[in-house]
Amino acid sequence: MNIFNIALIEFKHTIRDVRTLVFMLAFPIVMMLILGTALSTTFDKNIKIGKINVLYTEKTDISFSSPFHGFIKEAKKQDIHFKKAPHGLDGKKAVKQNHYDAYVVVTDKGVQFYGSERNSIQASIAEGMLSAFTDKYNLITEVAKEKPDQVQTVMASVSTTPGSYVKETSLNADKAPGSMDYYAVAMTTMIALYSAISASNLIRGERIRNTAVRLVIAPINKMEIFLGKILGSLALNLVCIMLVMAFSRFVFGADWGVHPGMVLLILFTEVFLAVSFGLGISYIIKADQGTRTILMIILQLSSFFGGAYFRIENADGILRFIMNLSPLTWAREALTKIIYNNDLTAALPVISLNLGISLLFLLFAVVAFRRREGL
Amino acid sequence: MNVLEIKNLTKKFGDFIAVDNMSLAVQEGEIFGFLGSNGAGKSTTINMIAGLLQTNGGEIKILDKNIASHSKLAKMNIGIVPQDLAIYEDMTAYENVRFFAGLYGLRGAELKERVEEALVFVGLLDKQKSLPKDFSGGMKRRLNIACAIAHRPKLIIMDEPTVGIDPQSRNYILTSVRKLNEMGCTVIYTSHYMEEVEEICSRIAIMDHGKVIAEGTKEQLKAIITDTRDIWVEVKNTENLEEAALKEIKGVNSISIEENVIKINSQSEVNNLNHIIQFFISRLIEIRSLQEQAPNLETVFLTLTGRNLRD
Ligand SMILES: Nc1ncnc2c1ncn2[C@@H]1O[C@H](COP(=O)(O)OP(=O)(O)O)[C@@H](O)[C@H]1O
Ligand SMILES: [Mg+2]
Repeated sequence: MNIFNIALIEFKHTIRDVRTLVFMLAFPIVMMLILGTALSTTFDKNIKIGKINVLYTEKTDISFSSPFHGFIKEAKKQDIHFKKAPHGLDGKKAVKQNHYDAYVVVTDKGVQFYGSERNSIQASIAEGMLSAFTDKYNLITEVAKEKPDQVQTVMASVSTTPGSYVKETSLNADKAPGSMDYYAVAMTTMIALYSAISASNLIRGERIRNTAVRLVIAPINKMEIFLGKILGSLALNLVCIMLVMAFSRFVFGADWGVHPGMVLLILFTEVFLAVSFGLGISYIIKADQGTRTILMIILQLSSFFGGAYFRIENADGILRFIMNLSPLTWAREALTKIIYNNDLTAALPVISLNLGISLLFLLFAVVAFRRREGL
Repeated sequence: MNVLEIKNLTKKFGDFIAVDNMSLAVQEGEIFGFLGSNGAGKSTTINMIAGLLQTNGGEIKILDKNIASHSKLAKMNIGIVPQDLAIYEDMTAYENVRFFAGLYGLRGAELKERVEEALVFVGLLDKQKSLPKDFSGGMKRRLNIACAIAHRPKLIIMDEPTVGIDPQSRNYILTSVRKLNEMGCTVIYTSHYMEEVEEICSRIAIMDHGKVIAEGTKEQLKAIITDTRDIWVEVKNTENLEEAALKEIKGVNSISIEENVIKINSQSEVNNLNHIIQFFISRLIEIRSLQEQAPNLETVFLTLTGRNLRD
């Protein structure tokens, strides 16, 4: 009950802070409008996917071979062409050299999939269809992107009725984000990250305001204060993000796909990450001004390399590495896959990563919080 | 019964000893004054009673229970008015009091009633929907008090509640302290304003350098001062006054002149009133009134510490 009261007061308190609200609501919306309109020509919404070429090798017995060949036939109607790898050809290398969009190895146990990083849309489409196919046969698809040594097993979770795999996945075959769609996702994921700023002030704000004194002298547990504050902050930031989403969807007509629950779940874990991070930082760095500066630098870099302001295409090497450090990249790319390829499996890695890192920062903050005299 | 009992309490900040082996007892129904100049250790003591600071030795009991082992009981029964305002400036007065009172387990109709009671008490009911950021300093101080009393604590500790406010708000606060006391609250009132403490407190502890250097009723404290007395002589005009000659009179320590009043500080044991009156008559200075001033706490403090209270 105390937790709830403290959360509520935090919520009310922040919602009346015009500066925070402008920043969390007006700023992303205005940015969407400006960037989404100004850069609309650099996005071609009607990308022609064209022919998709997949190379495959069969290491399987007859029983599975025949449905697979049925699948190949179906796929051809959707302009996805499967070609048996000639003897001696390194399929992965062929993909790497951009001769094919993907390479598939069919075994008894299932399908191993190597998609091209360069033609990721084409590869994703092929991957999605394969997932749906193997799902039907209760097989597993192993997916790797040009890195055979890092093969991850991904359970195909696209729920399809038998036989409809080709139809369902190819429905979105020529769907690609327009500029407004892109910036709707980019700005929303960016603002989710900026929750860290208000979070860094959660406990410290009480100290500066001196209201910490009243919280500490009250007959409540210190952890109730901590949890209440976090809960209030999470709730408020989530509401802000949903408002931004709704605005971009209904006013700008941005595409958020057909899995709003999953999209929200990813955004929620991102807010959780940002809040834990902000709180953790406020305990790592003691000086008020220092916290804010460092936080701003980290957030700006994450936004920049996460593609918040402009799309970074075909990045590889060091740039790709830096991009991958930004939580914005994780969230944005997963959301893109979910929205445009119905690929719900993309959610799992980003959700686990967000939650894992959140818990680390939270643990640190809790320990520091409990040790401290007062708040 | 002792509402508060402190034994050998000590607090150090590094090498600096802010509270030094202090002992004290406050009985039920008292308005107990903590008098001391800035830095004497008043707030530090209060912060330890409130559980905001850990002690470096000693014992604190609230209602005969050690606060270390009965912290919840202690907290339920204490209301603290912190020296620095502790309110949310952008939540209404009502929301402020309700939130803090809610932390003491009050709910529903009872909570609402107590919040209103507290707001009425400090005279802010008509401002309940306003934001403290639009309040005057005095109104903020009063809200600061309301937030501390809504849960009806047995012991209310006020840490300099009248710093920097207008005389009207100050009187309002002093009156409310008395009213709280009449309603059965024990009050600890901290101040470096001697007049306030002298006006409302039934017992006073004078603190200096982390120690209680004197304790008792006003009368007991003033009885400490027996070696000097103040004689104030009001005259028609001071033109013919020879200050030097007045100082020559046996026993006179010092004189100061404020308009037509000549304030003479003199040794108590020297009976020189005759000589002083003679001095004025012989110079044809008309005496309008003459009175001996009772010693006040300021002089007590001065005598005990050699410093003025507000230095
Ligand atoms: N957190 C602290 N760290 C170091 N010194 C402190 C701290 N709090 C108070 N002091 C010192 O302890 C002394 C007593 O302070 P305080 O209790 O606030 O005095 P008072 O309330 O009587 O004015 C002062 O000299 C003050 O500087
Ligand atoms: Mg003080």
